[in-house]
Formats: sequence, structure tokens, C-alpha cells
Amino acid sequence: MSTKVRYINQDHIIDRQHQSEQEFLTRLADAKPTFEQPQVEVNPYLINPLCALVLFRTETEVAPTVTVCGKRNEREDISHSFPAATKHLLPVLGLYENFTNKVVISLPDGRSTTIDITTGPLPEEVCRCLNIHTSADYLGTNIMFLTPAGKNLPTGYDYRGDIRWLLTENTMFDIKRVANGNIITGSSRFCHMPYNATGLIELNLLGKIYKEYRLPGNYHHDHFEMEDGNLLALTQDFSRDTVEDMCVLLDRNTGEILKSWDYRDVLPMDVGGSGSQDAHDWFHNNAVWYDKKTNSIVLSGRHQDGVISIDYDSGALNWILGDPEGWPQEMVDKYFFTPVGDLANFDWQYEQHACVVCPDGDIMMFDNGQYRAKNKENYIKNRENFSRGVRYRIDTEKMEIEQIWQYGKERGQDFFSPYICNVEYYDEGHYMIHSGGIGFENGYASDSLGAFLDMKTPGVELRSVTVEEKDGVVLYELETEGNFYRAEKLPLYHDGANLELGAGKLLGSLEVTEEFDTEPEAEEVMELPESWHNVFIEEDVDRFVFHGRFERGSLVMLCLENKGESHRYFINTAAVWSLAMCSGAFLEKDDRDIKIHVSKRGLSGVFQAKLIINDKKFQTGVSIICQ
Amino acid sequence: MITEITQQEYEQIDHLQPMLVEFYSKTCGPCKMLSFVLKDISKKQPDFPIYIIDFDENRELKEQLGVKGFPTMLFFKDGAEVSRLEGLKQKPAIIKEIEAIA
Repeated sequence: MSTKVRYINQDHIIDRQHQSEQEFLTRLADAKPTFEQPQVEVNPYLINPLCALVLFRTETEVAPTVTVCGKRNEREDISHSFPAATKHLLPVLGLYENFTNKVVISLPDGRSTTIDITTGPLPEEVCRCLNIHTSADYLGTNIMFLTPAGKNLPTGYDYRGDIRWLLTENTMFDIKRVANGNIITGSSRFCHMPYNATGLIELNLLGKIYKEYRLPGNYHHDHFEMEDGNLLALTQDFSRDTVEDMCVLLDRNTGEILKSWDYRDVLPMDVGGSGSQDAHDWFHNNAVWYDKKTNSIVLSGRHQDGVISIDYDSGALNWILGDPEGWPQEMVDKYFFTPVGDLANFDWQYEQHACVVCPDGDIMMFDNGQYRAKNKENYIKNRENFSRGVRYRIDTEKMEIEQIWQYGKERGQDFFSPYICNVEYYDEGHYMIHSGGIGFENGYASDSLGAFLDMKTPGVELRSVTVEEKDGVVLYELETEGNFYRAEKLPLYHDGANLELGAGKLLGSLEVTEEFDTEPEAEEVMELPESWHNVFIEEDVDRFVFHGRFERGSLVMLCLENKGESHRYFINTAAVWSLAMCSGAFLEKDDRDIKIHVSKRGLSGVFQAKLIINDKKFQTGVSIICQ
Repeated sequence: MITEITQQEYEQIDHLQPMLVEFYSKTCGPCKMLSFVLKDISKKQPDFPIYIIDFDENRELKEQLGVKGFPTMLFFKDGAEVSRLEGLKQKPAIIKEIEAIA
């Protein structure tokens, strides 16, 4: 019998990026690169292999322009001009993979320097473009950013479907550009199954993380930037028995929670359930939008087939958009809409995602359509179902609703995504519809969510299809391998600061991880657990993650002990089945592989990590340092 | 006091007394943990009856009582179920339910 415990203690990516930045700034100071012979740093912030930084100094203030030359012709060039300066740190974004890229730095006086920047091949798990139909004129210098729904990576595709941006960190859920030009998305640091990461990260497109906003209830699915820069973020309270039913307002500077909304205050939890509802994940909030005109928050609840509006100040329920079947009559009378207009083509949405409030107050969303009924007897099989983007016009005085646009119904199961996805409103008649959760088994829409399907299994295909239409004409369609949570079209550069120097910040706080007050009887042995258990401990600045493999039904407990204290964390080895799996990033192939996160918040000192497996308490040889 | 019982024995116990009935499975990690929690509680409240029943071997009874999974704790008083807890719980949550019926 062999025994083994693996352990790694790694600085937070923010600290590693700061160290990298200090190193290239030192090289800049030492080497004194010139315009003619600039310093080039490929992947300066460690997580974007398709970018570089060009550094040099000039004697007078000049405004340089960076051009990443297209592979084929100059119409494919990506250019950006930077403000005048003497010290230049120019982000080079949109490099081609595994290619010697020609990058031209030019000055207003006509001088230019051409440099070659060679990139390597991308990781194997990258999802490739399979088909793309659009034009360089339509997409321009925009890139279609797709965020992963599994172990794939956040990826940006150009008008030819070439990958021009990639993060090697599995950041998750929504991705949005905020007013200062940065992007905000979910962190990749695991906290709680099935897909809760520590919080949100704000970064530039080089991959430099300026801030991580940690949340005690973690972050999931979606966020929204308010006019003052503060953030609405979806979260939960892990100390209670339900999830995905809270929203908070975060202070953008401090990460402090300024306000919170609890949907349990305004909605019954046991009515109007969708096919995926259970008591634990009764609402499954997957989208948030703030509507300034009505000072309200609009929220999508997949597991009640409903989009709701609540008052920003009071949290009171304004209305519910969805099929009223199964709701108490008094709530139907007060909060639900009655369809009007072309009723022959009207459909309610089911298990929807990504609600959007249009400028005129219309509500758009991605209607996944999973089950497409309230009553079990009327559930529609996936292979006979459809997904679509849909726009509803609502009259909150008359409580009437009219369906005024849809796209996707006509494509049937080929466009069907039982989970994830989004829509975007660009202008009247100009929309994006992203069906990112398509899964086929032997040519038919699978009955399983994509996150549970293995692309390597014969007959299994995962697809993501992103469409843009204008006035009813499809001008863009991208089909990729894999499933992608959301799509967001953005230019690589923006008019603000594309790079700011300095150390990133870790804001907010994680939860105090719940301890178990009873210790089972177990004989302490001076041995490590067997190698088969595959015990691995990853320590980070503010938490650690324990990984192990255990037979179902084993009694397992992680203990942190020192002379004065003992902290116990129960590890559940029972099978847990989730009816929603919007990101499979944390799923393990072997369902006996289990991981738990323990926050260091509330702990102080140095602790020996020990492991109870059934009737024995094993050593791990690992000390956890909690400052 | 913790007593393991079968369906037949369940039918013979005094149903008017306040009591806790727990359904467990030998194949369940949380159930194993809960057995230690209940032992601790029983040490502090030795007179309070706790009956444990094997879920897999007493299927008729678990269906009769509407027990869908394990571990499940049912709290009875005056012959009627007053509350139930599903899944592994810590001592304070269980003691709260016991105090409500004792």
C-alpha cells in the first residue's frame, strides 16, 4: 500500500501578475529600449498568450499607433492609437496563435518600426470555430468573446473565426465591458460546488486583474454595472438551505456589500416550479438588469420559468413575466400579464436566461424552452423542442403582454440549448442571439445538459451558435465546438486606459466556512492516507481547497488542529445530482473525486491538516497558515 | 437513549411519547456522521427516546411515513409528526426540534 498527499501553495494571480509587472518595468529601466528597438513582453500578465506589451521611450512626447497586421490583407489589421507620452507601454492585442505576427509601431511623423512577435500553440482544450458566416465590414475590429460553460476557456474569435484572444484561466459566467473600458467576469477560484467561484474580477484585455471582488456568498451567473460604477452581483447565503436567490450591490472601490435583496421575501418558493426546480435551487437566478426608468431590478429565475421586477429601494415585487400556471390566483391577478396581439404565435418562455430591458421598456431574453410546460404531462422532449431569442412588450398599467419578435424557433432542435445562453440588444431590430448550450447525442438533441456530456464519447457533439440579425437579416453566425455560457461582442481596444500599472487589489471577503461541531470517533494513526485517495491540498492567500477521492458512503472529515484549537469540516461523499449545471468547470470525471474549499476567514494560527476516513484519522503532513 | 428498531418494533412503541425517529442507510456518509451527532445529543438527554431505522430494510415503513431519502429525522409528539429534518444536521438544529416537542 502506498500513501501520498500532494500540496501546493501558490500566490494569488494578482500577486504573480504584480511580480511579472515589476520584472518587466525593471527591464525597461535597465535596458532603455528605443522606438527603433523596443522591448517586447509576450503575455506580460501570464494568462493571455495572444497579447504582448511593447515598451520604449522617446525624447519628446509622441502619440504612437500599434497595428497588428492581418494574416491575409490590411483589411484585417487591428490598429489603435495611444495618447502622447515619452514613456510608452503599448498593449498589443489580437495576436494570431502559433504564428509570427507582424506588428507595426508608427508615429505621427511617419516613422515606423516593424517587429515580429511569435506566439505558441494554444492549449488543447480550446474550442475551435467550425463555421462562420459574416464579413469584415460587418464585424469590423470587433471580436466575439465567448465565456466557458465547462473546462473550456474564455475565447475571442475574429470575423474569420480565428482565435485572437484567450485567457488560460477558466473565468466564468457573464463578461461585460464596464464604463472605464475594463471587463468584469467571474473569477476562476473554486469555492462551492457546483459552480460558485470566489467572486468577480475586473481586468483589462491583456489579462491584468485590477480587482477581485470577493463575496461571502460567492458570485454566480451575472452582474450589472450601475451608473455610479457600483455593481449588482448575484449571490446567495450559504448558511441557509437555498441557493441562487439573492442579489447584492457592491461598492466598486472597497468591495463592501452596500445593499442586498432576498427574493424569499417576495416570492413563494414552492409554486410555479419549472421542470428543473427543487427545494434547494427553487429560483435559480441567472440574470440581473437595472432599469433606471422605473428604478427597478429585473431578475431571471430559471426554476420558476419567470422574469420578475422588484423595486430597487424597497425590494417589493412589481410584476412577474411568465406562464401563470401553478401560481396562486391572487398572485396571478396582481402580478402576471395577459397575452394580447398575435396569440397564434405567442409562446411563454421557459427556463430562460439573460433578461434585458430595452430602451423602450420591452423585455428581451433567451428562452431556452427546456420542458416548455409547467405540467409534467405536457413536457416537450428536447429533440422536439426549440430555443429562441424573444422580445416582449409589456404594459404594466393594463398588465398585458405582446410578443413582438423572436428568432430561433424555426431552427428547432438544431438551435436548442437547455441551459445557459444570452441575447444582446444593439439597436431597434439589431440583436444578438447566443445559443451556447447545444448538445447532441447521435444527431439528436441530448436529454442531458452539455456540462454532463463528454465530447470524447462517440456520437456526442457540443456546439455553441451565436447569431446576429439586423432587420430580420442574419449578418453573423458563429458555430464553435463546446458550450459557451455567454457571448459579448467587443472591440479589443477602447478609448480609455488600456493598461494601468500597479498592484491589483483583493477586495471584499469570503465567508467563514461552516464547521462541524461533532467529531466522529476515529483512531489517530501516524500515516498518510492511501495514494488511491488522491489527496491534494491547494493553499492560497485567503483559503485552501482540499481534493480527495472517496468511495460513496464513506465518512470523511477534514480537521485543522493545533495545540489550542480544532476545526472540523464534514465532507459529503453522497452522490449529489444537480438539475442545473451552468458551468461544468469544477466537475470531476470520476464522481468520487470531491473537493471542498475552506476559507481562512475566522481562523488564526498554524494548523495541521488531518483527515478522518471512516474509523481512522490520518495525517497529511500539511500545515495551513492563517494570518 | 438510542434504539435501533424494525418496522414491527416501530408499531409496538409508545407513539404518544415525544420521540425522534431517524431513517439511515449503511451506505451513506452523512448518516454515519449523524450517528455521532445523535450519540452526543443522547449523552446530554439520555431520557429522550431516539429510534433509528434502516431505510433499506424497512421500505414499507418509510413509504408509510413519506420518507424519500436518508438521513431523515422525524419528530413526533402525541402520535403525530410535528416536524422533520432531511439531510445531515448539526446539534443545535436537532436540539431545537427536540425542545419543541419535549
